Amino acid sequence: MSILAKREKRLLWIACVPMTLLALSCVYPVFFSLNNALKTNKGYILDRFGLVTQPTFDNFVTAWQRAHLSDYFVNSVITTGGAVLLLLVVSSLAGFALAMLRFPFRRFLFMVILASLMIPVQVVLVPFYRTIIALDLVNTRIGLIISYTAFFLPFSVYMMTAFYSRLPRELVEAARMDGATILQIWWNVMLPMGKPALITLGILNTLYCWNDVLISLLVLQKERTVMVGIAALRGEYTTNVPLLTAGIVLAAAPIVIIYVVFQRQIVNGIAVGAVKG
Amino acid sequence: MGSKAERRIGLLFVLPAIVLVGLFRIFPLAWGFVLSFTNSNGFGKSAFVGIDNYVAVANDPAFRDSIENTLILIATLPIWVMLPLLLAILIHQGVPGGKIFRAVYFFPAVLSTVIIGSIFNVVLRFDGSLNAFLKAFGLIPVDWLGNGATALGSLIAVQLWATFGMSLLIFMAGLSTVSKELIEAARLDGAKPVQIWVHVIIPALRPIIEFVAVVTTIGVLTSMFGLIYVLTAGGPGTATTLPEFLIWLEQGKMNQPGYAAAISMVLFVVMAGLAYLQIRIMSRNANL
Repeated sequence: MSILAKREKRLLWIACVPMTLLALSCVYPVFFSLNNALKTNKGYILDRFGLVTQPTFDNFVTAWQRAHLSDYFVNSVITTGGAVLLLLVVSSLAGFALAMLRFPFRRFLFMVILASLMIPVQVVLVPFYRTIIALDLVNTRIGLIISYTAFFLPFSVYMMTAFYSRLPRELVEAARMDGATILQIWWNVMLPMGKPALITLGILNTLYCWNDVLISLLVLQKERTVMVGIAALRGEYTTNVPLLTAGIVLAAAPIVIIYVVFQRQIVNGIAVGAVKG
Repeated sequence: MGSKAERRIGLLFVLPAIVLVGLFRIFPLAWGFVLSFTNSNGFGKSAFVGIDNYVAVANDPAFRDSIENTLILIATLPIWVMLPLLLAILIHQGVPGGKIFRAVYFFPAVLSTVIIGSIFNVVLRFDGSLNAFLKAFGLIPVDWLGNGATALGSLIAVQLWATFGMSLLIFMAGLSTVSKELIEAARLDGAKPVQIWVHVIIPALRPIIEFVAVVTTIGVLTSMFGLIYVLTAGGPGTATTLPEFLIWLEQGKMNQPGYAAAISMVLFVVMAGLAYLQIRIMSRNANL
């Protein structure tokens, strides 16, 4: 920024104090969870605020094995991975077609997809549940994958359409002159060019799917995803805080790692989606 | 222009998206609408009962409480908008360590509501960390989650804490579009920082402020499920029951889908109104 008056600079330094406290509160849960996860239950009860002195990994082992977090983890990885892949394929196909191809009802179909943003899962909970029962998709991972895709799709289609409509349509015409089929154009031209948008959408959708509880509670009632597993762990082991925090650390680890690695894409993706969106 | 192949393949490419959205969102919405006028138990016979379900919903104390809770939540909206706005302006004006603040403030927003809820449960419950802390200073412990007077406030505070970073990001993106010349000109005219905020920055950000207000309201109505589920389960009583959680409770009973569908339709009308506002604000932004 430009030359600030001395007084303004001092004000900014003063503002720094409460802002630092707020920032500490934002990272405190990570410290809280890790610190307590490494304690024994007795150790926690005796001193819940103190720094862990004799770290033990027993809680992680117990949460992973006895509390079945390992199974839930596998469910989450498969359903999140499957849904994100499906989301990217379906939304890049639709975005490419809506932005670059000329076909009847193009605008209408785009409006239908955009309007479905107005239908959150809560609003259709009962009939949606009946639909997946009728299709025999309850308690199947594929059912959850399809459900995630259906509910997180409109935003992705919107982003892909917006992204592709900024590219010149001549790309398609030139490739067609060279004898490429439209499927080849999608695969060889549009997917590589759409990479920045696809990466952002991939990360955002991974966050949404991994963190979801409502849809997975409804679809996977026998097996669980890791978030539903944590909710259950909280209910079953109310007095064992170290075990619960160990579970929390395990369940949140992939997301925290993704955030640390892809922080820029996440932050930019959300900002762009909001302001330009 | 569009060849024959392009016309066919274009439709084909949009088809998967349309089928998914149609089958799992639009069709269930229509079904729910029909269901809300019947006394179906879902499996056997069902009869058309007109607006009976809606009358029953309107007279349901749990529903009224959920609406009241929603209104209390919405009354706190100014805090949800002003806190991140203030922080965004401070960061924009060059607070030392601004980039770090931005990244750290956003961090809770990537954690799931279940994770956040579980952690705050340990902190806020009667034998929890906060009370242990208060007692250490000789203060009286409070049953933050178990007391009807404080439960909703606790829930609101946790949700605010978890999401203000998201609004902050949106404001930061908006601020980057505010003309620097305008701020510079005001400064040369002798305007003080606060005057610049009030007379230059905030008016320029108005569309973004409206956007954040609408998006926050949508979030309050549709993204607190996980938090309520692990933090209070809607209680004590109905003290923290919001419409979305009430629908969940009702659908769990399974024998009254028409009733649950009627609540859903009420929520849908509210959501559609908000979404309409959001789309209008977004399209106006695009024209700026």
